[in-house]
Amino acid sequence: MSRVRIALSINGECHELDIEPHWTLLHVLRNEIGLMGSKQNCLEAECGVCTVLLDGKAVISCILLAAMCPGREIVTIEGFGNPEHLHPLQHAFVAHGAVQCGYCIPGMILTAQSFLDEIGDRRPSREEIREAISGTLCRCTGYQKIVDAIAAHAAGRRGKRAQAHVC
Amino acid sequence: MAFAVHHPGSVADAVALASRLGDSARFIAGGTDLVVQINHKRCAPHHLIDITRLGELAGIEETQCGVRIGALTTHKEIERHPSFQGALRGLVEAACVVGGHQVRNLGTIGGNIANASPAADVVVALLALGAEVSLVGSSGTRVMKLGELLIGPGRTARRNDELLTSVQIPKLSPMAGSAFVKAGRRKAMEISVVCVGACLVVDASGRCIDARIALGAVGPTVLRARGAEDALRGQRADRSAFKQAGQTAAAHCDPIGDVRASEQYRRLLVEVLVPRALARSLSRITEAKS
Repeated sequence: MSRVRIALSINGECHELDIEPHWTLLHVLRNEIGLMGSKQNCLEAECGVCTVLLDGKAVISCILLAAMCPGREIVTIEGFGNPEHLHPLQHAFVAHGAVQCGYCIPGMILTAQSFLDEIGDRRPSREEIREAISGTLCRCTGYQKIVDAIAAHAAGRRGKRAQAHVC
Repeated sequence: MAFAVHHPGSVADAVALASRLGDSARFIAGGTDLVVQINHKRCAPHHLIDITRLGELAGIEETQCGVRIGALTTHKEIERHPSFQGALRGLVEAACVVGGHQVRNLGTIGGNIANASPAADVVVALLALGAEVSLVGSSGTRVMKLGELLIGPGRTARRNDELLTSVQIPKLSPMAGSAFVKAGRRKAMEISVVCVGACLVVDASGRCIDARIALGAVGPTVLRARGAEDALRGQRADRSAFKQAGQTAAAHCDPIGDVRASEQYRRLLVEVLVPRALARSLSRITEAKS
């Protein structure tokens, strides 16, 4: 099957690529563009380590065809924060010791961000946070501190927004 | 694994393309089932027709007759939409247990129906709500009851050149409520071992006027427990009637034993979950009144 030319918006940059129609977005990110933050594991939408943001919403990239993504805004962990400028949510993960082996963390961060955007200013319960990250598996089984980090970030974020309203 | 991806600009173009390409083509939206099937070599289409850019298939709309849900509506959109927070809450309870959030942001209601899994949670809730589907094909449009569309595991009455464009839920009476309950081997990311959707209508004295009970993963398709529904009509809607409905539904369903559960265990689950779904539907009616 011949390759097709597509343009993808990834982390705010436009990439023109010649792809095979069956390539997934995950394959293109890792093997064509060299963005290795999105991890490859189950390849059947079970584990969540390949999560990216598609138009701001967390989606699994291992079963999403790249050929269906032109015109959409894709954000990977590389576009979310970097070692010099960590996103506040990443700071919270570091502060709470939520990162063990690290393999699930890019997916975990982006899943959490999508969930927090979805619920707006409301402060989520721990149970809700657990449910929100249920599609992203951590095999170090370190969920407790991940939930701590997301809860603390959500609480801080809420405080800041409330202050902004007062001003 | 070699296929071409087509991006038609309208429903008419998508249908014309499907008609021309025949059996070698499949429509694709979220792809959360189809791409996994292709990767596992359970199907090998030569053409995928991408329908995600068809605005005609998007959106949730309240009409005089009920609610119309565009085929591209994601599970997440159902979960969050205000139209489903009242009597139709059973649909939300089903949508929010499909996969993880990352699957619910991609997977669509149209794809979930067309995939025809006997364990599809959302399809169970829709069947209990008396939903109908609209199909557009090269020979025109037809509307059919959801139960008539589903004919076997992974099989529907949809012709290959027909595109499922929307789902309609008829308006419920003010004295109606719905619910969905599911049993899996773990809390999340789980295919149902058994799931039950219910929709109950009562009169002012608490008598059951109508009931619809749908069962998932206990037959070749999602199916209605019609014997239990018939027995409920005219009865006082209370615990003993619900218990009886559970027993009738368990006796009449047609489960298989497989890697997830034995046939006997599935029947026991039906017996327990049917009364639970009915009781929750009833409590929704009571809450709405107060």
